Amino acid sequence: MSIDNEKWEPKVIVFACNWCSYAAADLAGLNHLEYPADVRIIRTPCSGRMDPMLVLRAFNRGADGVLLSG
Amino acid sequence: MVAVAQHPNIELMTYTEVSKISGYIGNFNVQVKKKAKYVDWDLCTGCGLCTEKCPTKKLKDEFDLNMGLRPAIHKVFPQAVPGKPYIDPDNCRKLTEDKCGVCEKICPTKAIKFDDKDEYIDLEIGAIVMATGYDLFNWEAAYGEYGYGKYPDVISGLHFERLVSAGGPTSGHIKRPSDGKEPKSVAFIKCVGSRDDTKGKSYCSRACCMYTAKHAYQVKTKIEDSEAYVFYMDVRTGGKNYEEFYQRSLNAGATYIRGRVSKIYPRGDKLVLKSEDTLIGRPIEVEADLVVLATAMVPSAGSLDLAKTIGFSTDKDGWYQEAHPKLQPVETFSAGVYLAGACQGPKDIPDSVAQASAAAVKVCGLFSKTELATEPMTSEVDISKCSGCALCVPICPYNAISLKEINERGGHGHGPFTRTVAEVNSSLCQGCGACIPACRTAALNLKGYTDEQLVSEVDALCL
Amino acid sequence: MKKRAGVFVCQCGTNIEATIDTEKVAEYARTLPGVAYATTYKYMCSDPGQELIRTAIEEHQLEQIVIASCSPRMHENTFRKAVVGGGLNGYMFEMVNIREQDSWVHHDRDAATKKAEDLIRMGVSKVLKNKPLQVSTIPITKKALVIGGGIAGMQAALDIAEAGHQVVLVEREASIGGKMTQLDKTFPTMDCAA
Repeated sequence: MSIDNEKWEPKVIVFACNWCSYAAADLAGLNHLEYPADVRIIRTPCSGRMDPMLVLRAFNRGADGVLLSG
Repeated sequence: MVAVAQHPNIELMTYTEVSKISGYIGNFNVQVKKKAKYVDWDLCTGCGLCTEKCPTKKLKDEFDLNMGLRPAIHKVFPQAVPGKPYIDPDNCRKLTEDKCGVCEKICPTKAIKFDDKDEYIDLEIGAIVMATGYDLFNWEAAYGEYGYGKYPDVISGLHFERLVSAGGPTSGHIKRPSDGKEPKSVAFIKCVGSRDDTKGKSYCSRACCMYTAKHAYQVKTKIEDSEAYVFYMDVRTGGKNYEEFYQRSLNAGATYIRGRVSKIYPRGDKLVLKSEDTLIGRPIEVEADLVVLATAMVPSAGSLDLAKTIGFSTDKDGWYQEAHPKLQPVETFSAGVYLAGACQGPKDIPDSVAQASAAAVKVCGLFSKTELATEPMTSEVDISKCSGCALCVPICPYNAISLKEINERGGHGHGPFTRTVAEVNSSLCQGCGACIPACRTAALNLKGYTDEQLVSEVDALCL
Repeated sequence: MKKRAGVFVCQCGTNIEATIDTEKVAEYARTLPGVAYATTYKYMCSDPGQELIRTAIEEHQLEQIVIASCSPRMHENTFRKAVVGGGLNGYMFEMVNIREQDSWVHHDRDAATKKAEDLIRMGVSKVLKNKPLQVSTIPITKKALVIGGGIAGMQAALDIAEAGHQVVLVEREASIGGKMTQLDKTFPTMDCAA
């Protein structure tokens, strides 16, 4: 099976810590730095809250990539 | 200074260090260490007889940056507040060799206490103001071209302050350290350690442009037929009446040369400074009797350890991190801890005073309330699921989780019994949720960010 | 608790509207299960915007609120107050970031609009699981600690003391005064430092 790179829209889920990565994503917004619109950010209170279960859940539901940032 | 000591609401603890801080906004537990002074300050009247009679007189005076001398029992400086002496235990002959003891014999109030010990005191505190200040950059370790400190007549701006001060080792007469002669030609080098990525710090230390202008002015006005040369990268005079003061220094005859000094070396009893005058594009050589370096400000020694004790962050250079550079310049990420003065970054006196007053207002604002609302998004324990395994306890970075015994009624043939479960102190809990992945029985959950809520978010996005 | 969510999509002038079709997003929101009401407004954080939220809560008996606008780091407290003003618990509310993390970082209007819809779906599904939370209170010990007895520490201690509060001033040297006491006259007034 091959993937047509032109049309493929990956589903990327980001878990971002409220105090650093989420704020950094806001800063990227303030500076109007463009990135692909396939990225969806979920706010976490801290990366310490991240449970492996959530990552597996995302893959299980069809996410193509998961980024933990904190 | 005296106003501080006399204020009925201020308890002054000098020669004291903070050793432990725990707790949270409104409810900090602080332990301080009162270092042994070997003088009972309640009995001491500060008459000064002991300092006068102490036979160990020729110790280098740190207050005068080792340019003057002091005895083993001494006040930090004559106008010290409180105006009482203490014994330097490393150099006192009684404490090191059990000899002498002169001060004890002559003290009219019997205040000398050779068996004095460090004392630990616990305090209950509602808010903390950090005002730990700055130190000067150790240029001797970094600037080989200025002699690594081997030329006695290459000094820092703070040395110059002591030389020009009426209370200093030369009673305010500017004399050079090597031979005590009055220098006729004084060169100043700015940005030593500041704005220098390779050898020092990337930042501007903010106060040096102005104090160098002041030093040059003092050389021109205090020494007849003198020359003051100032080597600079830029002249930054952002402050009320600052530019006017710089002009006053120029009008007094200070010579400003735009260029970095590349080398200092001795010629006879003088020092030669090699530089470039970048405004005319030519190399330049200046002979000086005394060279004064405007060294960078760096965070005060020990300030990093203190930050770790409290648990708040510092920036890349070790300055205390404010919560927001523009909108929260005195708050920190630790609620109830505020910043004042140069511990947050290089500052001159007016700015330090302004920030100190701002920090005071934040404290007063907090104290104007009788109680404080807390963020409800904290962890909670479902005790029906908790097995008491205690895995969550060491994981909590805020020590908010403890164990408690609960009574169960029993049943199914068992009588009443007790078992251990985890308990979250919601005042200490900062809502980070680190305990939740550690919980094997899913007894812990973070209110506002429960497993159920986060899973529903993941599911909704992956639809 | 009944599932009656209200979705409020902010246009932020043109900051959001320029890249996201907010009307289309609101229309999509109305199709989501549990959503009873959805609308757009030019500036949701303004007084009329907040009034709109309060009125809608009452008129449509909303139980959960989702506001799609700027970053929660910007206006979460503003909107929480508005939600409380409308008679709900302040934690029956979620914010969806469609400005900093959507309209400002994408140029393709269709893709950004689709992303806003996804994010609102996420916010709605979370808010339907929210429970009312109660703010608790802690006591305050009215005694301040000032660490460092230089010019900044002395000034802070004096100001707090003058306001009538107890202050402990800790200094590691045997005298207060700090670096100031080592200085001679100070700029720009050339007055005495000590």
